[in-house]
This record gives sequence, C-alpha cells and structure tokens, in this order.
Amino acid sequence: MAPPAQSQRSQSPSQPSGKGEVSDLKVQLRQLAGSRAPGTDDSKRELFKKVISYMTVGIDVSSLFSEMVMCSATSDIVLKKMCYLYVGNYAKGNPDLALLTINFLQKDCRDEDPMIRGLALRSLCSLRVENLVEYLVGPLGSGLQDHNSYVRMVAAIGVLKLYHISSSSCIDADFPSALKALMLNDPDAQVVANCLSALQEIWSLEASTSEEASREREALLSKPVIYYFLNRIKDFSEWAQCLVLDLVGKYVPSDSSEIFDIMNLLEDRLQHANGAVVLATIKVFLHLTLSMTDVHQQVYERIKAPLLTLVSSGSQELSYAVLSHLHLLVMRAPILFSSDYKHFYCQYNEPSYVKKLKLEMLTAVANESNTYEIVTELCEYVANIDVSIARESIHAVGKIALQQYDVNAIVDRLLQFLEMEKDYVTAETLVLVKDLLRKYPQWSHDCIAVVGNISSKNVQEPKAKAALIWMLGEYSLDMSDAPYILESLVENWEDEHSAEVRLHLLTAVLKCFLRRPPETQKALGAALAAGLADSHQDVHDRALFYYRLLQYNVSVAERVVNPPKQAVSVFADTQSSEIKDRIFDEFNSLSVLYQKVLSL
Amino acid sequence: MISQFFVLSQRGDNIVFRDYRGEVPKGSAEIFFRKVKFWKEDGEEEAPPVFNVDAVNYFHVKVAGLLFVATTRVNVSPSLVLELLQRIARVIKDYLGVLNEDSLRKNFVLVYELLDEVIDFGYVQTTSTEVLKSYVFNEPIVVEAARLPTLGPAAMFMQGTKKMPGTAVTKSVVANEPGGRKREEIFVDIIEKISVTFSSSGYILTSEIDGTIQMKSYLTGNPEIRLALNEDLSIGRDGRSIYGYSSSAGAGTVILDDCNFHESVHLDSFDVDRTLTLVAPDGEFPVMNYRMTQEFKPPFRINALIEEAGSLRAEVILKIRADFSSSITANTVLVQMPVPTYTTRVSFELEPGAVGNTTDFREANKRIEWGLKKVVGGSEHTLRAKLTLSQESHGNIMREAGPVSMTFAIPMYNASRLQVRYLQIEKKTKTHNPYRWVRYVTQANSYVARI
Repeated sequence: MAPPAQSQRSQSPSQPSGKGEVSDLKVQLRQLAGSRAPGTDDSKRELFKKVISYMTVGIDVSSLFSEMVMCSATSDIVLKKMCYLYVGNYAKGNPDLALLTINFLQKDCRDEDPMIRGLALRSLCSLRVENLVEYLVGPLGSGLQDHNSYVRMVAAIGVLKLYHISSSSCIDADFPSALKALMLNDPDAQVVANCLSALQEIWSLEASTSEEASREREALLSKPVIYYFLNRIKDFSEWAQCLVLDLVGKYVPSDSSEIFDIMNLLEDRLQHANGAVVLATIKVFLHLTLSMTDVHQQVYERIKAPLLTLVSSGSQELSYAVLSHLHLLVMRAPILFSSDYKHFYCQYNEPSYVKKLKLEMLTAVANESNTYEIVTELCEYVANIDVSIARESIHAVGKIALQQYDVNAIVDRLLQFLEMEKDYVTAETLVLVKDLLRKYPQWSHDCIAVVGNISSKNVQEPKAKAALIWMLGEYSLDMSDAPYILESLVENWEDEHSAEVRLHLLTAVLKCFLRRPPETQKALGAALAAGLADSHQDVHDRALFYYRLLQYNVSVAERVVNPPKQAVSVFADTQSSEIKDRIFDEFNSLSVLYQKVLSL
Repeated sequence: MISQFFVLSQRGDNIVFRDYRGEVPKGSAEIFFRKVKFWKEDGEEEAPPVFNVDAVNYFHVKVAGLLFVATTRVNVSPSLVLELLQRIARVIKDYLGVLNEDSLRKNFVLVYELLDEVIDFGYVQTTSTEVLKSYVFNEPIVVEAARLPTLGPAAMFMQGTKKMPGTAVTKSVVANEPGGRKREEIFVDIIEKISVTFSSSGYILTSEIDGTIQMKSYLTGNPEIRLALNEDLSIGRDGRSIYGYSSSAGAGTVILDDCNFHESVHLDSFDVDRTLTLVAPDGEFPVMNYRMTQEFKPPFRINALIEEAGSLRAEVILKIRADFSSSITANTVLVQMPVPTYTTRVSFELEPGAVGNTTDFREANKRIEWGLKKVVGGSEHTLRAKLTLSQESHGNIMREAGPVSMTFAIPMYNASRLQVRYLQIEKKTKTHNPYRWVRYVTQANSYVARI
C-alpha cells in the first residue's frame, strides 16, 4: 500500500493528525498482546481497524510493527487478515521487523485450514524483502503441490512475486517449469490462468537474456497449448477468458480451416455481457482474418451489432472504451458503416470526449446517400452551447465538403454559419472556407460574396484572421474593398500579436498590389516598412525578401508570389497509415484510446 | 494487470487504497485527483475515464458519487479494467447493501478483505459474489438507507449516473436480517432507457431503447431459474440497414437489434421458446442487455415555442403530453431548455391549479428548468416563461435557444413491450415458495426535442 504523501494533502477535519493517536494505539496493543481474557479478539479487531484506517489516509503507523506482530498470535481469521494487510504494507520499509513475521507466517503456511495456508502464503510472498527470499522457496514449493486449489492459485501468483523480488531464486528453484506443468494439468481453471499470467510475465522478462525462456514463450503459442486453452475456455472465469483470448490473438493458424474452427468455437463469446470478453474475441477474429479480405469484411459485419450494444448498455466509461474501438474500425473501413450513421449522432448529455469521437465517425462515413442527413444533423450541433463541440461540428461539415459529396449544398450551409454572427462560428467557418477554395476554386464567386461582408473587426482568432487575409489577397480582384480592408489591417500592425497573421498580411498586400497597384501602393509601403521593423525574425525576413524582390524585378515578384495555382486534390492526413495499422495491431489496448502507438 | 486500486470521495479523500504491485510511485491518488478536478481550465470538459500522467495510466469510473480508480504502467485492455472497476463496485454493493461514502468508510476492513481476494498482484482472481462468500469473513455493518429517498420503484433509479443500472434492493447478500432468517426472494427488473430525438416539426429523427433485465437473487441453494420472454421475440435484422425497416415486421412483434447475456445464462431453449435458463449466482447482475431501434410510441410529446414579444422580451411556451395509459404515473419529470445567453430575467407562469411543479432559471448556464413531481398518463401540462433580454435578438432567437430535453422515470411501463411471461424457480422442497418480484421501469436517457 502506498498512501499519498501526507505533506501535500490538505487535512480534512475528520482525519486525525497522527502522532498522539499512534502512541496511544501502541500502548493499547501492548496490553492486549499477551491477554487471553474473553473478548480480547474483539478489542483487537477494533484496534486493528483503527491502525488500518490510519494507514489508508496516509498516516505512518509503521512504528506499531512489533506490537502488531505480537498481537497476531490468534486463530481469528479476520484479525489475521488485517495483520497480513498491515505487514504487507510496511515490511518493505522495515526489513528487520519483517523477519519477525516470518515465523508465524511459515507456521500458518502449514495450518490445517487451506484458507489460512493460502492467506499466509500470499502474505509471505507479498513482503517484498530480498533477504527473506530463502524463507519463501520452501512454502511456495509445497504450495504449488497443495491438494487445495485455493492454495495452488495463491502459490502460482506467489512464484511471480518471488520472481520480482529475486529472479535468480525463482529460476534456480525451477519454479517456471513447475508452473508450466501445473498450467497444463491442473483441474482448476483459475490455477491454470494464474500459471499462464505468471509464465507470460516471467518468460517475457527473461527472454532477452535466456534463449530457453524465449523458446518457452514461443511454445505458449504452439498449436497444442492454444487448443488446450481453447477447448476449455468456458471453464475459465470471464477475466481469465480475456487472458486466453489475448493469447489466442497472437497465434498463427496453419490454414484457413483452422481459422474457421477457432472462430466457430468463439462465436458465442460475442454475446457475452462483459465488454472485455467481447473485445478480446473481436481482436482474435480481426487478426485471424487479416489476410482473407472477404472474411475480414464479414467479420466487420458480424461484430457491428455486439459493439453497438456494448456502447449503449454499459456505464458511460465503458461505453467510451468500446466506442473508441468502434471509431478505429469505422476509420479503417468507413464504407462498411455508412448505413449505421444514425448510431453516431450525438446525444445531448454525452461528455465531450464521446461527442468528439462521434463527430469524427460521422465525417468518415459520409457518402453520397447519407451526406444530406449527416450534414443536417451536424448543423444542429453548431448551435450547441458547448463551444468546442460547435467548432468541431463546423469542422466536420467542412471536412465532408472536402470529400466532394454534394459540395454545392454544403457550401451554402457553411455560408449560413457566417450569418449566425457568433464569433467562434465565424472564425471556424472562415478557416474552412479558405480550405474549400483551395480545393474548389470554382466556388470562389459565391464564397467571396459572403466573406466580403464580414467585418474584419469581428474576426479575432489568428487562424481565422489569417484565413480571411489570405482570401483578401488571393481574390483581391473579386472583392472591391480588398485594398482598403488590407490597408486598415496594416494600420493596426502594432496591435497584431500573431506573427502568423502578420506574415499572411505581408503576402496578401503584395498579391493585392500586383493586381491592383494604384490602390494598394500605400498599404504595401506601410506593410513593408512595418515588416522590416518587426521584431519577429520570419516577418522581418519576409518583408526584406519582398522588398528586394520588388526592387529587382516586379514581374519576377509576380511569378514568385502570385503564380497560377493548382487546386489541392487531397489534404494530407494528420496520421500516417502506418501508424494507423500499428494501432490496429494493438486493438483492445490503450493505444486505441490514446490514438498513439504505445508498445514497442 | 493493474498496479493499484483506490476509492476516492468527491473531495478527494482516500477511502480505500490498495497497492498490488508497488511499481507506481506514491502520491498517485493525489496526482489523479488533481488531474480530474482541473482537467480543463474552464472546467467545462470532463476528464475522460482513461488518461496517462508520467507514464502511469489512470482508469476511473464514477459510482454513487465515488471515484473508483485503477492505475497501471502497462498497455492493458481498457475495457477490461473499466469493467473490473464497475464489477468491484457491484461486489462491494452486494456485500454492503448500500454503496455510498458512509457505508464504505464503516466497512473498509471488509472492503480490503474483498479486494485481497478479487485481485492478486494485479491479476483478477474472481469477482463473483458467490465465490467470494467462502473467502470473506468480515460481517458487513449495515448502513440504513434512511438518508436516501424512499425506495419506491422509481426512486431506486434516481441514483448514480445515467447509464448505471438501477438498484434492485438495498440489502446485503450476506447479512442476516435482524430478528430472523433470510427472506427467500428474487427480484427481476426490466429497466429500459430510451433515447428519442424529435425534429422541430415533431417528427421522430432517431429513437433507441437500451434495456437490461437485471436480477438480484436472495435464494438459498442456487435453484435453477427459467425466465420466459415474449414468444414472438425476434433478434437481429436481416437487412444491412437497421434503420428504415421500421414497420416491415408484423405489428406486435418485439424485434431486438441485438442482445447479450450473462455468463450463467443457458440459451439451449432460447431459439425454440425464448426461455432463458440460469442458475442465479448471488448478488446483482444483468441477465441480458438488449438494444432496439424498432419504432415505438414515445411516452411524452414535447411542444416548445420561443418567440420575440416586443423589444428585449421573448416568450417561451413549453407543453408536454403524457402519451400513456392513465393508470400509470411518471415521476421526477424534469424539462430543461437553454435560453439565449443574453437572457437576464425569467418569470414563469404555470397553469392554474398545477400541483408539485417547480420552475427555475439557472442563471449560470442560462437554462430554464421545469420540474413535475408526478405526471399522470393522458394529461397535458403547459409552462409559459417570459424572458427579459439584455440585447436585441435580430430575429435569431430560434437559433439561440433549445433544444428541450427531458428526464423522467415511469414505473410499470416499458416502451419495448418486452415481457417476462413467467419466472419459474426450481423447487427444492414442497413448501419452498420464494417471493418473486418482476418490475418494469422506463427512464429517459437522451430525450430531446429540437425547436
């Protein structure tokens, strides 16, 4: 147990400050230690409870160690458990005192009651003190062979604990092979599962230095082992099933009939109420069929309904985890989900991290047949009180327009956003209109008509301002006011904090000058002067560059600054497909939620 | 594999804290809480259930106002950890009867005992209340549910977050009742959460029912239980598109899009006669979750109007109609509507003789709220609100307000018409005749009308 550092916490009045209470407890525990009076156990229970509660809130009660150990000579199992909890928490910091506990723990490991044997063994292995490992090996060895499955279950994990305290003692005692034997033969499924967990961890860590370990790790993925697990999958608890499914996901079957056998066997796992089981099963299905395009596609169809059910049946947190995976699949194969778009509509009470995923999914699945409805829905969100969602929605509409479906109608909608006269809506829309114009120059006429009406005073966000300025420069011939708007922007050069905007302004003024020299000459002079005096290096350099270029030859300047532009066909994706593939390989892991590759 | 598990109160106090692997540095609870509390400067956005700080992954779920948290350094399955956290909360609730800060504080030793058996060195051992019974020895100190509202069939669904299934009963599965033997009983709750979006013209844009058949058994000896559902129940739709198939099936059939089942459920005869067979484990668990997008009759119709009424004034008229039988009563109905951000004052006008209504203008988030304690089926209610504005709306007022959203709970009503035809409990002895409770309730999940 690692309670948070006391010093940083604000004390709530209900929590005791510590010192005085702890020494009181010490005295009381001493008194009880030797007592055999009736009712002693009850008083002990109360005291132990206090100790544990102090421990929980972060008060250091390690000074009670010897008293706690003295009091632990009892047959009361509740007391024993509290004592084990305490000892497990403080042994690491007090190795000398921990030695005191070895004696009674070892004795308990030989108790008649399997429960006590198991508990004692668990505590013994949880001490995390290196110089005590010699006392561990014996009890662990007999624990693995105990006739009671509870004890074997504890012992299997105990081996792993030992490995983390002292890997050499664990290997020297040949525990891994004992675990392997147990894993392949034990009648109790949880014992088998624990052996698998322990071996996976041990062999992965050993694999870098030991060839044998790396061979053993490979062998876990061999056909007989995999089939051994698969054939008894229903014996395992739902959590252990996840473990097995994870293993199966790494298995490479030899032929397609084997693939179908495995999928048929696991088919009903897709109907499990536990989302972790379903996702683990889906991972197996997806990975097995990766090279079989048709079947892979059928798998997508098959898993759609269970995924959607999980999204709507679990808690909000769970639904987010599943939705992130659905998001991954939708982004990979949007066509397969194009008729399910209504499932990705946002609900008003969803948290914004859910809405953001859904907006991306809606954007991805838009095609000829559903664009109208999707865009209509998105437009509803633009009026959303949540500003960030409103922005994302505008962004989504723009992205759909860039995908070329029904651009005409969408451009109209975007232009309507500009009429809403909400600053953030205008800002977001301007950026999109700029991108649209770069892709569809043919729409310039309609767009410019509307953009021309926007007062630059209402646009404050740098990105939006830059977009507006870019349009003023690019379409200065279509906007009669362009030189004058640019001029007034140049006049306020000093107040413009964003270097990006100032850079755009320089370029736009020059473009405008090249097309409408008489009207822009004054603004250009002012802009170049301001640019040369600018403290920002890039702005200064660009001004200087333009100045020299114009000095050298105006027609060269024209060719450099205002060359005929090709429409952009595709905007670069922010995430490379290689990264996307790697995230897909890590289906059912945190990589999917973070949208980052985590494993090496 | 997880590294630590802890439960924090709303104020960030540790109620229980268990470190299983000792690989995450101290102070993780504090780092977590600060991160969640100050996720975004403006506090508008909630922290997602999973995030990473300094190479430690934090998972959390909110249950009964408490934060259940797990940490790990490895790249685990997020749904596994989140499911686990929910399950731990449920196991604790099975034991304590009532899950809240108070009951947790009083029983933390028992909770530690449970946690030691549920997880060992970060690996899940069991989350079955049934299995845990044989390992866990502390007796729960039962906290009276007295401070909670009376446990009417609807009140029980008012706690927790929107999707957290309601509570069957607030009774521990292990504690004996005062002065007597355990009462043999079983609760089966059919809980449906409905989501409907109406367009501004009242047309249904989307609708969905998310249902759960939840069971809580206090039967001794784990008898076999048979649960029969509608005979004509059908599952899955053949067409590629789930939507747009609305009325192709015969009237009256219940068509589920999909469903899933608890581990203990046997589906051997499900395809033949729609009967689920199971040996109910102790504690509360979902027998079956289902999802339906088949058209259904929404229980409430909402009519909302906002119009300018002179300079710097506007009027809102909200009307709701309960479209269900008059023998049924919806309770804890709340209607909300955002109004223009430049609204400064609101005066409300209820119908003459309206009882149990509350009205409020939430200045901070510019929203009007209309609460109705009870709404009898077939009735209609209207609220008028006069708004005072601080600026002209330039004819844009429709875009500045709405949508109207509604929350409610309707006991003894289920929108899907899915039914438990019978609940059969295998008889162990002749006199054995346990109490059976089959209850229905429908709640709003996202019930929205655009204006």
